[in-house]
Amino acid sequence: MRTKKLIEAAVIASVYAVLTIALAPLSYGVMQVRVSEALTVLPALTSAAIPGLFAGCLIANMVGPYGLPDMIVGGTATLVAAFFSRMLRNRSLLVPLPPTVINGIAVGMLLHYGYGVPLPLFICIGWVTLGQIVSCYGLGYPLLKILKNYKNLFV
Amino acid sequence: MIRDITLGQYFPGESGIHRLDPRVKIVMALTYIVALFLVKDFWGFFFAVLVLSIIIKASGVPLKFIIRGLKPIFIIIIFTFTVNMFMIGGEVLWQWKFLHITREGLFIAVFMAIRLILLIIGSSLLTLTTKPIHLTDGIESLLKPLTVFKVPAHELAMMMTIALRFIPTLLEETDKIMKAQMARGADFESGNIIRRAKSLIPLLVPLFISAFRIAQDLAMAMEARCYRGGKHRTRMNAIRIRKGDYVAVFLLILFVVIIVAEPSIKGLLV
Repeated sequence: MRTKKLIEAAVIASVYAVLTIALAPLSYGVMQVRVSEALTVLPALTSAAIPGLFAGCLIANMVGPYGLPDMIVGGTATLVAAFFSRMLRNRSLLVPLPPTVINGIAVGMLLHYGYGVPLPLFICIGWVTLGQIVSCYGLGYPLLKILKNYKNLFV
Repeated sequence: MIRDITLGQYFPGESGIHRLDPRVKIVMALTYIVALFLVKDFWGFFFAVLVLSIIIKASGVPLKFIIRGLKPIFIIIIFTFTVNMFMIGGEVLWQWKFLHITREGLFIAVFMAIRLILLIIGSSLLTLTTKPIHLTDGIESLLKPLTVFKVPAHELAMMMTIALRFIPTLLEETDKIMKAQMARGADFESGNIIRRAKSLIPLLVPLFISAFRIAQDLAMAMEARCYRGGKHRTRMNAIRIRKGDYVAVFLLILFVVIIVAEPSIKGLLV
């Protein structure tokens, strides 16, 4: 059972990293949307998604161009958000809320303080949160509803 | 499309930097980033650039390769530079209608741009000279003391290793599914951003199902071979600290001391 959970988490991490890398063109543009953030609804279906998303985020940011600060801040924010999403698993509509809010604030703060983007803090946070709303609610929520039909797939 | 993607930024080599222990390299990169935030004037940056240039030269990674890695964040750099230059008040150097450049604005714009570029190059040198697998080994080893607080260091590293192994397989799978769905009339590229995000559902669901099938097979194979986690597990290539690592740590401490003491050193000289 333990091994199965470990592998499940690893596969979730892998899918997260693959989606970030493969769909990179959509992540750039006027508004950045990280499609892989849609996977942040998975903690509602399996607890393995909590470490899985964390590891996936670490790998995706390790490969990406923003370096170590993004790996640490992005990874930790995803981990904390995944915990809260798991706690809210019985209320589908609220599941995508923690990644939207927590990642929006954390990555917005990283952009403002870490990378010195000279926009006011609330605009940095708002900009990232908007992208998160599209991926977590626009894509994640419908995905959650569909994947609920495949519950036997998860350990 | 998917074939163009080079996974990770690792630049193969046999240099002294490549051979350093991954733990030492992670700590070095983290310290370098923190030190950049302690720099208060251009002399500090001059020293940081000098040190970075020596490391780049020693690593044998071509400068062209490193600059290419800066491309995705080029827009952020230009944007930060422009806004800082025009928005900050002070002694006016140049003015045209409502636009003005001040001495303070120019100083902060250049200062922030240098810091951003050094930040990115400094941390990407870590991934350029370390194989992802060694990086995960390093993370596992650095997290080991935290196992006292029940942080699953081995499990996390194992997860990352397996995930890295599956990335090429799943990339290929994503490509196949995309083509299959496009042949059925799926459209991934038109419409507004919400529509485009939603159009990815026919890609995500099959990708998940296929990924979880792979997971089930692998879990069964590992259990059949009696995998029981981190305890008493030995490694084929164990990482260990060598002489070069001690030298690197010593130089790192020297670097931090100089960066921290730089304002007082300058005070003594002037």
